[in-house]
Amino acid sequence: MTAPFAPVTPAAAHASDGDGPATLVELSDLKVHFPVYGSVIDMLRRRPAGFVRAVDGIDLTLVRGEVLALVGESGSGKTTTGRVIVKLTRQTGGRIVFEGKDVSGLWSQNELRAYRRRIQLIFQDPYETLDPKQTIYDFVAEPLVVNRIDSGEGRRARVISAIEDAGLRPASDFMNRFPHELSGGQRQRVVIAGALVMDPDVIVADEPVSMLDVSIRTELLRLMLDLRRERGLTYLFITHDLSLAWVIADRIAVMYLGKIMEIGPAEAVIRSPRNPYTKALVSVAPSPDPPDAGTRAQRTILEGETPDAAHVPTGCRFHPRCPVAFDRCKAEEPPLFDLGGGQAAACWLVEPGQLPVVDPPGTAAATTTTPVTDAVS
Amino acid sequence: MSAQPAALQPAGRRQNRLPMRLASWLDFGRRLVRRPEGLVGVVIILLFAVLAIAPSLFVGPLETVTKATGARLEPPSWAHLLGTDNLGRDVLNLTVHGARISMLIGFLATLVTVVIGALLGIVSGFVGGSTDTVIMRVTDFFLVLPTFVLALILAPIVLEIIGSGEIVGMRTTLFVIVLVIGITSWATTARIIRSQTLSVKERAFVDRARVIGAGRWHTMRVHILPNVTGLIVANAVLVFAGAILTETTLAFIGLGDPFAPSWGQILGASQDAGAPGLGAWWWYVAPGVCIVLVVLAFTLIGGALDDLLNPKARGRR
Amino acid sequence: MTTDAATDATPDAVPGAMPGAIPGATHTRTLPKLADPDAPLLVVEGLTTYFTLDSGTVRAVDGVSFTLEQGQALGIAGESGCGKTTTALSIVQILPSNAKIVSGSVKLMGIDLVPKSENALRRYRWREISIVFQGAMNALNPVQRVRDQIAEPIEERMGASSAAARKRAGELLELVGIPRARGSAYPHELSGGMRQRAMIAMALACDPAIVIGDEPTTALDVMVQAQILELLEDLRHKLGLSLILITHDLSVIAETCDRVMIMYAGRVAEEGPVAEVFERPRHPYTQRLLAAFPNIHADRRTLEVIPGSPPDLRDPPPGCRFAPRCAFAMDVCSVEVPPEVTFGRVRVACHLYPADGSIAPEVRAAIAGAESPDVIGVDA
Repeated sequence: MTAPFAPVTPAAAHASDGDGPATLVELSDLKVHFPVYGSVIDMLRRRPAGFVRAVDGIDLTLVRGEVLALVGESGSGKTTTGRVIVKLTRQTGGRIVFEGKDVSGLWSQNELRAYRRRIQLIFQDPYETLDPKQTIYDFVAEPLVVNRIDSGEGRRARVISAIEDAGLRPASDFMNRFPHELSGGQRQRVVIAGALVMDPDVIVADEPVSMLDVSIRTELLRLMLDLRRERGLTYLFITHDLSLAWVIADRIAVMYLGKIMEIGPAEAVIRSPRNPYTKALVSVAPSPDPPDAGTRAQRTILEGETPDAAHVPTGCRFHPRCPVAFDRCKAEEPPLFDLGGGQAAACWLVEPGQLPVVDPPGTAAATTTTPVTDAVS
Repeated sequence: MSAQPAALQPAGRRQNRLPMRLASWLDFGRRLVRRPEGLVGVVIILLFAVLAIAPSLFVGPLETVTKATGARLEPPSWAHLLGTDNLGRDVLNLTVHGARISMLIGFLATLVTVVIGALLGIVSGFVGGSTDTVIMRVTDFFLVLPTFVLALILAPIVLEIIGSGEIVGMRTTLFVIVLVIGITSWATTARIIRSQTLSVKERAFVDRARVIGAGRWHTMRVHILPNVTGLIVANAVLVFAGAILTETTLAFIGLGDPFAPSWGQILGASQDAGAPGLGAWWWYVAPGVCIVLVVLAFTLIGGALDDLLNPKARGRR
Repeated sequence: MTTDAATDATPDAVPGAMPGAIPGATHTRTLPKLADPDAPLLVVEGLTTYFTLDSGTVRAVDGVSFTLEQGQALGIAGESGCGKTTTALSIVQILPSNAKIVSGSVKLMGIDLVPKSENALRRYRWREISIVFQGAMNALNPVQRVRDQIAEPIEERMGASSAAARKRAGELLELVGIPRARGSAYPHELSGGMRQRAMIAMALACDPAIVIGDEPTTALDVMVQAQILELLEDLRHKLGLSLILITHDLSVIAETCDRVMIMYAGRVAEEGPVAEVFERPRHPYTQRLLAAFPNIHADRRTLEVIPGSPPDLRDPPPGCRFAPRCAFAMDVCSVEVPPEVTFGRVRVACHLYPADGSIAPEVRAAIAGAESPDVIGVDA
């Protein structure tokens, strides 16, 4: 019943041509459920009282050379998805396919060695990702040490090259320092160097710039985009900031409570969102526009907050907060419908054959549409 | 690496790294002595350490029954600054040599305690699961063992087995004391280190180590250990103080070695000979004061370390 | 001094509506004695605060001035280290022990708070000015019920009975959008957004004239952020509240504030009505900063890169502190501190706008309109 959709191939300028299959990573019906135990006895007997359904069945494809932004609020499951892809967290169900090979079952250190060389993760907090007791050199060299890649001069050359590629030049100025001697932006560059040193194909970046100042942010982003061009990298960019995704992503996937609500080329998702959640997110995304611009007049501020993933609503999980929900939404969960042009949205209102989308009077939570008032000054 | 001519070698990682690590330890030391309690503690310990390393340099060889230099129970005089004991031995001589024995026992006992405690604490905290449960239950068992009772029971048994004389370069009795202190102290250390390990385990850099494929031993060695070292040192300092006190008590109740008199042993001997009643205060005051000073010094250092390790040092960085 | 002590110890006796109250606002508030009813609500002049570290003296705030009128919302924007939080803390004098207000004045309704003793300041803290700290939602007492935490300052500072305080706490909770029943919850039982609302309720407990919010929405999801900002707007109108909002996020200021003050390295770069400053930024830093924020409603998908990094405030550069990073820096910029010049309701401190108007308008226009070539993004 689900209409599968074809992802849009990014512009030729970014694709590294002829280097292998276009689809690098494919997630099928990926699920990550964390058990919740009522008591210690239950825990010992392995009888969970419930599950936190952090990721609840998603299909995602990552195309070579693209920047795919995975956008969602807290509790959406975006970070968990990233962790599953790099095999930090074990999936409860579904498959992970890398370059055509099923890697879902790979778990031993040996098997994963090859996989880890191809996919790496950049963490969010540059102040915590670096071990305060390790020198920069040791941090960047560690992946090589642990995976027994290279040795001696060859290893050192790789490390220096990674440090310099991350913009810290000359490497000798930084190699022997400790993290507390560097600024936030420099530390994040070190983290990036640590991810680059194994020469991966895919980098999963989990909020890589959200803890940095605005002016540092842009420099780091520039670095990441330059690296994509120079090394033919592919990024899964996880962020809560839709505006940021707008600026740097080829495609955007919007997650809510463990499921993908909408996915497609950035332009399409932002300018013509079809899922009500996406629409609401876009409407409240803050912008530094002067206050009386017409586009900001109507904001859909949803009521309440994202429910906790242990108590996922029935039917469409967004229905309790959706301004345009109706009966079917409470009962059945909509699949992702192909809307053409690589865009897909999970919403009964966009089911093919439906009337063109005109917001019907909502039967669920009231719409909160707040026109911006001119403040008295 | 060394085949390259010096001019072509990049700014050596090896050359620069050592001074960097050394520099951070030196900085730590500097910050320690900047605090008054740290300074006092370090000075006292250094003083006693010097005495302990080369006691003969200061007071000549250890006096024994046959080599006593003075009359019995002489009060302090210019010839014998701290008087003599009931065998005519110079108390100052005994006390300075006692420093070596006490410090040695303290050091070895601390080593045993800390190595076992830290190892088990780190493994237990990091590996978790059933390993953690098992180790913690064993720890609980050792936590409740009464030190002195154990010493009293173990000492004769071990002595029986090994026989008197020397073992691993020291006298058997001392070996037993080190063993006993070690057995009864490691549990507390293990708990403390495990606690810290649990919190370090949650930090992002441990996650990162997993992402790059690091195994458990590598992570424990490279990431957990360096980050609990501060706590290990702070704990070791207090363990040292405790070890000296424990040894003192054990010697006092008779488990000492009269041929290798520690301060506790001197105290014990003076008590047995009835020194307080005889008015020979010089005999027990000297070693007593030394014990107090050393334990105080370690406690002061421990306190200063605690402040230093506390990241919320207000105001001044 | 004795008059001060007498004033500060006893509750006030001068009732009356605040001057210049928002028309339609039904809220009235009593003024402290010594208050000058004709003075603007808050006037900060030449505020200078330094931190003493082992490694040197940090000139965190160096001569900051601004005025807050009754009912206004002022946004103080800038990156980390620019001094915005220190400015806020200096106003209520909740500074760490190694910080000191070196000079300047903070006049609340004409009363200068800077020379006041700690005891005297207590009269004003929380009753005239309250502050919601950064990450405050994590500063709630985990073992006390939320309603009780809000009632506490009411009981202590306003001398109300427990019952009256609890009742008022319930009212405040409703005011910020927390159902009264949830007041008996413990902080960990509430979500992040609810906790932030509770912090706001606590800040309103003693009915202050000014609320300072330090990054009030930074740790929150964008939807919750929109809710909280809407709430603040609502409260402003209902209670005639004046707001000082401190944030690095210009978008938040664009949505909620009347005036904005851009700070850089401890000094004010530009200040004025939000509409004017954002539409026609004059200071080069303001221009770069605006362009460094992604704008989801704009057509261009680029971000401007500002090279370099903020100066070390232990040893700031002479003259204009932004000069080393400024694309339009002239010789005078690294020598003289730029004076503040006023254009209507906008203040700028930049040598491109000298007091005597000596730079030709065409040059200024050309500079203002220049596009920075250093951009990143999909459209770059």
